Amino acid sequence: MIPTLETERLILRAPSQSDFDAEAEFYASARSGFVGGPLERDQAWRVFATMIGHWSLRGFGHFAVEERDTGLYCGLVGPWFPEGWPEPEIGWSIHARAEGRGIAREAAARARRYVYEELGWTTAISLIDPQNLRSIALAERLGAVYESDYQHVRYGLMGIYRHPSPDSLAAQGAA
Amino acid sequence: MTQIPTLQTDRLVLRAPKPSDYPAYHALMAAPAAEMMGGPYDAETSWMAFGAEVGTWALLGFGSWTLCRSGSDAFIGMVGIDKPPHFPETELGWMLAPAARGQGYATEAAHQARRFAYETLGLATLVSYVDARNAASIAVAERLNATRDADAARPDPEDIVFRHPPPEALQ
Repeated sequence: MIPTLETERLILRAPSQSDFDAEAEFYASARSGFVGGPLERDQAWRVFATMIGHWSLRGFGHFAVEERDTGLYCGLVGPWFPEGWPEPEIGWSIHARAEGRGIAREAAARARRYVYEELGWTTAISLIDPQNLRSIALAERLGAVYESDYQHVRYGLMGIYRHPSPDSLAAQGAA
Repeated sequence: MTQIPTLQTDRLVLRAPKPSDYPAYHALMAAPAAEMMGGPYDAETSWMAFGAEVGTWALLGFGSWTLCRSGSDAFIGMVGIDKPPHFPETELGWMLAPAARGQGYATEAAHQARRFAYETLGLATLVSYVDARNAASIAVAERLNATRDADAARPDPEDIVFRHPPPEALQ
């Protein structure tokens, strides 16, 4: 039910139990502070299970990102629309071990192509903590533009970044 | 993704949770009485928790079912088998919407889920972690012939650990 997608360097596949230790480590680190963390291991488990259950509830969800050549687990990326979100988004949480090589961008671009081509979305946002400069930089590299603020009941102030539409990506010839 | 099996009892169907169950699940988990099940939850938290109930199947090969009366598709509660990392053992759990209580449904559903855990999953033992204030749930555990295991490790010091009879005792 969860498809497998590919890019030049990455495989985007269903998350599995074997990914959990890396996720627990991520959620234990300060790096997870912009995505609801840091979390204890049992809470991280619930979040990770939700990531998978989201596929059943919404018909789409996050993919586990794996580097094709090394098998390195890099984190999660994909469409996300839990209760309390203003509209469906493309989200990402790429781990420190995969940083600095354009992996997050490659994965997020593939996820965006998936939501446009396979799910038929006509628009997409990413919801980003205003202090998460790394993530904002990625959104901007993807061509997304800050649109407005959103006040989430738990996570507080978030910026809505609007991605280029399917048509404008097609016009650029670089989806 | 693990296929979630459908089980039946005399009066109930245990089926895969689905999106249309969420409002009834939320009503149950947002109520003050949900305090005894880790709640009460706001809408965001209950949605995440409901998603986790579903996602657990893919992670563990077992998880929770939605309970419906036979011939109805309406959510009246859940029963499930769970083993998150902080649980010392695999747990059999249950919850019922207030309108469905007092009719033996939780016992009937948990009995069937326990059978599945033993016969299909091949588990050798099961516990239920019950809040010491949850008299209704304690009564269900006792009707299932589970007994208090004072020595067993537990995720929450306030929980009572009920240990279920092993598979061979239920033959």
